[in-house]
Amino acid sequence: MKQVDQKKAMKIIGFTLTIFILTVATHDGEFWPFSTYPMFSQAGNPWTRAMILDVSQQDEETFWQSHSLNERSTPTLSLRKYGVDQIDFSNFISKTDHWSDNRKNALFTLFKNDLLPDGKWMVVKVRGELVNKDSVHVRIQPFLLLTENGVVENPLLDDSFYFRGEN
Amino acid sequence: MNWTFPLASGLFEPKRDSSPGETLFFKLFEIFILCYTIKFSFEWAHYTQLRNVDVVLPLGVANYFDVSLFFDHYLSYLIAGSILIISIIAFFRKGPNWLYMVVMLLFHLLYVIRFSQGEIPHSQNLIGMSLLCFAIGLIWYPDKKYQPRFIIGSILFFIGLGYTTAFFAKLIGTGIHWFDSHHLWLWISEKSVDILSREGVYNPNFLQRLALTNSGIASMILLIGWFTEFIGFTLWWHRLRPYTTTLLIMMHIGITLSMNIRFDAFVYQLILIGYPWYRIFDLYLKKTPDWVIKTI
Repeated sequence: MKQVDQKKAMKIIGFTLTIFILTVATHDGEFWPFSTYPMFSQAGNPWTRAMILDVSQQDEETFWQSHSLNERSTPTLSLRKYGVDQIDFSNFISKTDHWSDNRKNALFTLFKNDLLPDGKWMVVKVRGELVNKDSVHVRIQPFLLLTENGVVENPLLDDSFYFRGEN
Repeated sequence: MNWTFPLASGLFEPKRDSSPGETLFFKLFEIFILCYTIKFSFEWAHYTQLRNVDVVLPLGVANYFDVSLFFDHYLSYLIAGSILIISIIAFFRKGPNWLYMVVMLLFHLLYVIRFSQGEIPHSQNLIGMSLLCFAIGLIWYPDKKYQPRFIIGSILFFIGLGYTTAFFAKLIGTGIHWFDSHHLWLWISEKSVDILSREGVYNPNFLQRLALTNSGIASMILLIGWFTEFIGFTLWWHRLRPYTTTLLIMMHIGITLSMNIRFDAFVYQLILIGYPWYRIFDLYLKKTPDWVIKTI
């Protein structure tokens, strides 16, 4: 490459970089494939994920109660077996601010063909946080129950859990 | 002398003559990028058709129109099929020189359709950036002589930039104490829940157990990884490139072991682009193969 072509090459890279900066600056750091690569940039913050527990064999009196991850006595569903991406699922549950009928139907549609009659699958939010700055505490909050008839909200939680986002 | 010339010299190596091995490597690398582009396209199309119901998080162009209209009627497959056909035409350098740009736009569209569900994955970013560099390179450098050097150089520029940007994102987002061992504990616990949700069972591996019981080792894991990200920009200089590449690959292996996050496409691409493989080809090639000459 001659010097004149190097100059042209750097101009093209500079132009692409300008588009890169403009798009990520106006789209919260993400305009694929442009990215500021923010993963793990905010360390120490509490996190929320989601998973599904099979509570078919549990009493209704106990399966709505929140508990720590270590106290979990029910089996966890392998989402991979059902062809659902677990990160997508976690984000779907934790980033939904307003649990409208439409959003509940979307959740039900994901699993309705896999639920057995009398099967009860509990969608739980799992929240982890640093406690006393030296240990991690992980708590399970039962959130939505999937049955063959549809989706049921946790009666122990008030409406603000379903219509104002994260709690 | 322009201040960018030392950088351009590192990226494009103007004093080195092009060789048959370099040209052959360039086409093989193009095949690698296209294979991953087509693989991702059909995986995203399949998942979209099967699982996407509602837009949870609009990304990229999905901020400007409702991409849920692509969730049904096999429209996502139509996009993936178009990517496949146009990519093959562009690979053989048939048709106009902006075909890869069309593939890039379709690839972006398919990404924002598939990942409208809340997740923002980054493991496909290097493939996306490489495809973009091919698109730009074919438009601005249609001649055989400079095209491979520009495309590979620009890909290296954006890979190096990406890693160093990630370092600064952590410095700005958290501060100089980012490598505190407790942060790793929190991430290990988060990823353990992801694995539990994906597989139904989770057991920590040796490195995770070590990090969870020894805060010094946990901090050291984070610090070494963070430093490696910082020196990502040294990929821009060909003499340092193999050493930086080796460190980056080791960092990705460390991330996989400590946090169960796999970046397969990243690592394969680093292995291909970080080392001077063309020298091995040049040992056996007297001249550039005809099929390569016809397809640049």
